[in-house]
Amino acid sequence: MAKRTFGEWMRQNIVTVVFIILCALCFFLSGETPAYVAMELVDRMARNAFIVLSLIIPIVAGMGINFAITIGAMAAQIALLWVLEWQIPGIGGFLVAALMTIPIATLFGFLVGKLLNKMKGQEMIGGMILGYFANGLYQLLFLFVFGNLIPLHTDGLVIQGSTGVANTMDLSGANGIRKSLDNLISLEFAPALYLFAGIIAVVMVIFYVRKSIRLSRLIAVLAVLAACVIAVQFPAVRDIFRLVRVPVVTFAVVGVLCLFNIMIMKTRLGQQFRAVGQNRVVANAAGINVDRTRVIAIIFSTVLAGLGHLIFAQNLGALQTYGAHEQVGLYAGAAILVGGASIVKASNGQALLGCLLFHLLFIVVSGAGRAVFGDAAIGEYFRVFISYGVIAVALVMHAWSSSVKRKSPEAQLRAASEKA
Amino acid sequence: MNSRSKSQTIAFVVLLAAAVVLIAGGVFGVINRTSDSGEQMLSDMRLTALLTTAGEGSKEALVEAEIEAAREAARAAGGGLSEIREAVAAAEEEARARVENLTIEVDLDTVDTSALVPAVEEMLAAQRALGVQTDADEAAYAEQMLAQMPDETTAAEEEILESAPTDAESAMDMDMSEDEMMLEEEEPEVDMSGFVATEEMNALSAVVDEKFAALCDALQGVSPELSDEALETLRPTIESLIYQRGDTYETQYDRLSAYGTAGFVSWVTRYGDDLITVGVALTLVAVMVLFAKPLLKALGIPRMIISCFFLLMCVLAVIYDLSLTTLLSNTVVRMAMNSILVLAMLPGIQCGIGLNLGLPLGIVGGLLGGLMCIEFGFSGLPGFLFAIVTGCLIAALVGMAYGVLLNRLKGSEMSVTTYVGYSVISLMCIAWLLLPFQSDKLRWPLGNGLRATLTLDGAYRHILNDFLAFDIGSFTVPTGLLLFMALCCFLMWLFSRSKTGVAMQAVGNNPRFAEATGISVNRMRIIGTTLSTILGAVGIIVYSQSYGFMQLYTAPRQMGFIAASAILIGGASVSRAKISHVIIGAFLFQGVLTLGMPVANVLVPQSTISETMRILISNGIILYALTKAGGGSRG
Repeated sequence: MAKRTFGEWMRQNIVTVVFIILCALCFFLSGETPAYVAMELVDRMARNAFIVLSLIIPIVAGMGINFAITIGAMAAQIALLWVLEWQIPGIGGFLVAALMTIPIATLFGFLVGKLLNKMKGQEMIGGMILGYFANGLYQLLFLFVFGNLIPLHTDGLVIQGSTGVANTMDLSGANGIRKSLDNLISLEFAPALYLFAGIIAVVMVIFYVRKSIRLSRLIAVLAVLAACVIAVQFPAVRDIFRLVRVPVVTFAVVGVLCLFNIMIMKTRLGQQFRAVGQNRVVANAAGINVDRTRVIAIIFSTVLAGLGHLIFAQNLGALQTYGAHEQVGLYAGAAILVGGASIVKASNGQALLGCLLFHLLFIVVSGAGRAVFGDAAIGEYFRVFISYGVIAVALVMHAWSSSVKRKSPEAQLRAASEKA
Repeated sequence: MNSRSKSQTIAFVVLLAAAVVLIAGGVFGVINRTSDSGEQMLSDMRLTALLTTAGEGSKEALVEAEIEAAREAARAAGGGLSEIREAVAAAEEEARARVENLTIEVDLDTVDTSALVPAVEEMLAAQRALGVQTDADEAAYAEQMLAQMPDETTAAEEEILESAPTDAESAMDMDMSEDEMMLEEEEPEVDMSGFVATEEMNALSAVVDEKFAALCDALQGVSPELSDEALETLRPTIESLIYQRGDTYETQYDRLSAYGTAGFVSWVTRYGDDLITVGVALTLVAVMVLFAKPLLKALGIPRMIISCFFLLMCVLAVIYDLSLTTLLSNTVVRMAMNSILVLAMLPGIQCGIGLNLGLPLGIVGGLLGGLMCIEFGFSGLPGFLFAIVTGCLIAALVGMAYGVLLNRLKGSEMSVTTYVGYSVISLMCIAWLLLPFQSDKLRWPLGNGLRATLTLDGAYRHILNDFLAFDIGSFTVPTGLLLFMALCCFLMWLFSRSKTGVAMQAVGNNPRFAEATGISVNRMRIIGTTLSTILGAVGIIVYSQSYGFMQLYTAPRQMGFIAASAILIGGASVSRAKISHVIIGAFLFQGVLTLGMPVANVLVPQSTISETMRILISNGIILYALTKAGGGSRG
């Protein structure tokens, strides 16, 4: 019996397990120092975790991975352009951009949701193609409207003699918003760990007191936190994290989003997401407005992705005007799947774990490619392959298991009763 | 007869009336060009321009004379250098002010042009003769040089191909259009610096000199102030006013109209051909408005829009004086070279897997076939056939495995195939770097792996395009390519009539019914998928032989989408398609792209708007098809 459950567990988490092995292998092959990897990893987590978390709500609502979050990223870039044009520096600029992103992304999300309602069951491919289509509109906007019909006055936004907005948006100047969020409070690893461990412990206790989680869960979490805090006391462990600077506020924002994802699932709206995700017909019969619920889910996702892209941009300090948004959906989707999520089920933990593993691989794979084949380009191609491959495998596995389910007599019976 | 509303009829009548007026005007204009009155109009304009120039010249001559006189006077008065300069400046100012008020008489009714007209006519004739002779001699010289010169252009192309890829991330960009622009063949450029005027040309330019002297006399007759020196400095201006090489009615009109507006009639004459074009377009629009409903029913909204867009592009191309026949010729080539890839969508749709966005699997098979052909040094027709056979074998194996996979995934083929296709492309990116091909034609001279763009010169470049190809004016008919396309379509048609083909379509139409009649659904789906993959392999080989290059790495990634959008534009849906959809779709899609690029470049120079247009059309049509395929409002 125990063996069978292990097999089942393996089958459900095969992607994650394979990925952990792959990461370990590449890490040893690449010969990168742990200190470097740790520094890069914390940086990349701060940059990408938010946008991966924005995928959870549509998955719960049964719409699969929302590849149309690229459209949210476009909204963020529109906002960023104007913040640059108005030359609002620092955290003020970041907040203005965030405030602008929210209404734009809400509008975009509404339109995306309406369209995806017309292609139920094909949301993922639809979202992806919609992303490409929107990219065309984005190019029209940035090449022929901004800078031409609507003039821009800030230096460097429009290159003389060419049409439209310049290829890169530089956020690092005196009036830029580079690292404005990250550098608000920046701590070394150990103090940051104490801080977050403390906050998480308090939150967990509150949950326990409000009877949201079981005692065993509480003890497990507290034990892990305690282990981490103790581990940092060893000089060897401390040494690994000597280069790390933790952008506290950014991680705090990510933490708030995790809480938000948990809390919204407890509201009535969250229950509706879940009901629609499990079965649209039943949800409709129960009096839930299925279409409206799905549109709301996409709006949430698009707005969050827009904010996530702002965090991404301020961390990087420069943006490819016409390319930065293109791969957002792909990388975020691959990351969440790596963490063990499927296209029907996802949690905060899976998103964070996936983001961690996916970017760990990103850091070490080009070094591994150089070490094994003598060519860093192989590593580059390999990570693109991994991104697409993970999504393909996840889709195949999902379709496979659901077609097996469909064939089982019990499921057929259920399907028949649903029809009736 | 309630199908037509009153407003429709009114719009039809109004549009038609406008069209008739425009066409009538245009026809009048075009006829007028060759008739005497048209010539008269042009000659009047030429005279006006000449008189204006001569007037300006004589003014300048007057000023010069005044200045000279003032200088002499000052010098005679015996002043210092600065005094002379002051006197000259004062005189020039005075003279200019006086000349400013002089009106140049250019009214042809009042000026005596009896001597001028024949002089201008003769000058024009002499210059034209010289121009014609120069053109002929230069062409002969260029041909001679070209025969001596080794293939310099191919060397230049090599250089472009040698440059190694910078980094994989930038190669991930989706633009193919840049490469596609290379499709238009570049004219070999000849260094003309060694060209010397021939004897005939010298003789003719002597005639021109003679006529110019006569013209000068005539001009001096009209405005006597003109000195000989002034006329000599004016000579280039006058010559370029009267005649320029490659002159047409339009260019002369545009040049001369800068010297004075020529009235409505001459405007109609100038834009006569454009008026006819717009008139014809309006007539078409009028007919479309009249038959809007049945047309919409027959074509569907997207095909209607794309067709209108295509017509609009044609009209714009004519108005902007782009060569429509060359563009249409390119369109036909591109339609045919893409048609096999589009045809690959057909069996996929018919057997029920929907749009086969995993087409890159087949494309990779075809690319491997082409690579082996070059590696083993085959060329010409055997090489082409070898590439096709090898490609088909690889694609058949891959396609079967792919079909088995898709049978497990009924209902979510589209998203799975897309990502499977993408992963295969990126996996092959690694493979291209590692595969043990040895030929120097294939590998980077420095660094690892295969080149990103492989030239097919010396292999099977244009093997179909040039087979029995012939020209009708500037329209080149790629006979071999069209025949190959027809052959493939015919084979597909034969297959669809066979027992297996009928069974396959039955599976696509209604799998449950097919299963009930004893057809093996899974087997038919595997056949359809395999066929689609094989056609993908053949398609890329045909595409690359016409294009002249094979593109590895990320280039084939979007090809599935392009083929899918083409068949959808042709009128197919994700569950129903015919061969006619393939051909219509390939023509319309490629037509809009081919015509769109130069037209867009006229409208917004140096822009990527045509690439943006491709993104919008191609993804927009797939989105539309998806919305039609799925999703009731109630789940």
